[in-house]
Amino acid sequence: MSAVELDGPLESGASFPAHLTARVVTPGERPRVHGYDVEGDLARHYQPSDLLFLLLMGELPAAPVSRAFSVALMFLAPVSVAHASSHAAVVGRLCGAPASSTFGVAAIGAAEHARSLLDEHDELFVWLRSQRGQLPERFRARDEADVAAVERLVTALEPTGLSVPALAERPAREAALLMVLFAVGFKRRERLEAAIFLARLPSGIAEALAERPTNFGNYPINLPRFAYTEAQ
Amino acid sequence: MSLPELTQETRTAHWGWDEHRYFGHRVFEQLAGHESLTGLTVLSVLGRRLSSDECAVVDDVACTVTLADPRIWPLKLTRLIAAYGSTLPAAAAGLLSEQDARIGPWTTAKGAEVLLEFDAAIGSRVDEPETVRAFVKRYLEQHRFVWGFGTPFRGKDERLVAFRQCVRQRGRQDLRFWRLMNAVSAEVREQRGVEPNMGIAIAAAFLDLGMTPHQVGSLTSALMQHMFLAHAVEGSAQGASLRELPAGYVEFDGHAPRESPRAAETV
Repeated sequence: MSAVELDGPLESGASFPAHLTARVVTPGERPRVHGYDVEGDLARHYQPSDLLFLLLMGELPAAPVSRAFSVALMFLAPVSVAHASSHAAVVGRLCGAPASSTFGVAAIGAAEHARSLLDEHDELFVWLRSQRGQLPERFRARDEADVAAVERLVTALEPTGLSVPALAERPAREAALLMVLFAVGFKRRERLEAAIFLARLPSGIAEALAERPTNFGNYPINLPRFAYTEAQ
Repeated sequence: MSLPELTQETRTAHWGWDEHRYFGHRVFEQLAGHESLTGLTVLSVLGRRLSSDECAVVDDVACTVTLADPRIWPLKLTRLIAAYGSTLPAAAAGLLSEQDARIGPWTTAKGAEVLLEFDAAIGSRVDEPETVRAFVKRYLEQHRFVWGFGTPFRGKDERLVAFRQCVRQRGRQDLRFWRLMNAVSAEVREQRGVEPNMGIAIAAAFLDLGMTPHQVGSLTSALMQHMFLAHAVEGSAQGASLRELPAGYVEFDGHAPRESPRAAETV
């Protein structure tokens, strides 16, 4: 079978570069991330959370930022099966999907979970950027559990030496975590979304792997009960 | 402690003993043998059936929108994932990249919003060039980018040329949104020098079928899946050649080599 010679806009209508451009990780045998030798330098002196920070932000974190970022990742990480993102990963596993497909489902769920969290907190970032007035009411702690969680966050942050003045506004747990990410330098939405996504993804994967494929009999199929209606 | 039952309404489907329901229809009795794949797809997105003449417009869109060169970015993405050997993850990745993207089927939803905005302003005065000119001028002053316009790498969208022919053959060229699209396109061409693309044409044709912008985007996505599937199938069968580009095809344009602060401290 021979190739057919055809002409079109991508043959003669426009010109494109001949090479793909790498901008973060150097290709080849001795990878560098944003200039740092991964195997000879970062692996010896830094933690995985520092590498994550470097990948997303382009610079290594200073010590207080590194510790505070680790605390934020830790607080963000647990996503129980009550959440749609982890629940979907478990259902993927139940279906008997290969592990890679289940991880893909978990990844989509975690990405959507992170996006919707930031959609709901748009106004919080307006407030954080302006540094004016009081924290909008909708981002304040809703109950004692929220208050206690933020107190634990403040306690965990104390040894890091990083100051997050906004935490004094009695924020809700999720708002408080976004305040910490903002304080360590995550000010662009895409990077915030990426950090939250990466922190939460392992929970969904782990919850799925803990389920047995095709364990349909033990899955609450009527949670929720879908009420079929033919009304327009 | 007993919990309140969680329920969610659905108009989509129910699994019965001997018969199933789908959007108000008995699957075996009313759909099987009577409905086409296009008709089912329309039913899935709109929640209602279209006539066979109307479904023919949907088929025209599916055919004329078929531009599936693997170099086109969302299809290339599909091809790259397919290089690892699985079909559906590759197709799913292509589908995923379409949501709210600047190229691809979701642009038709945005194009539909543009047309509805013009329709609200212009209404029945679509045959008054001065009126259309004034509204387009005002719109362009407020929007640098207009969804549904622009034809990268060529002077006109050949898919739109072909689809126009289909619309004419079906006698739908005088419907409300198709006429509006033509009137607005003439002014955008005059004022900005850019041509309409297939996205705004699909939007117009589907608005004339009574769809909402969200339905326009969703149905167009469904109608483009054959292209993603084609590359997922072919690419996954072709093996590993795209998994890693050979040395020399990738240039690095990033930070120069440097030593970390902690490594410097230990020297």
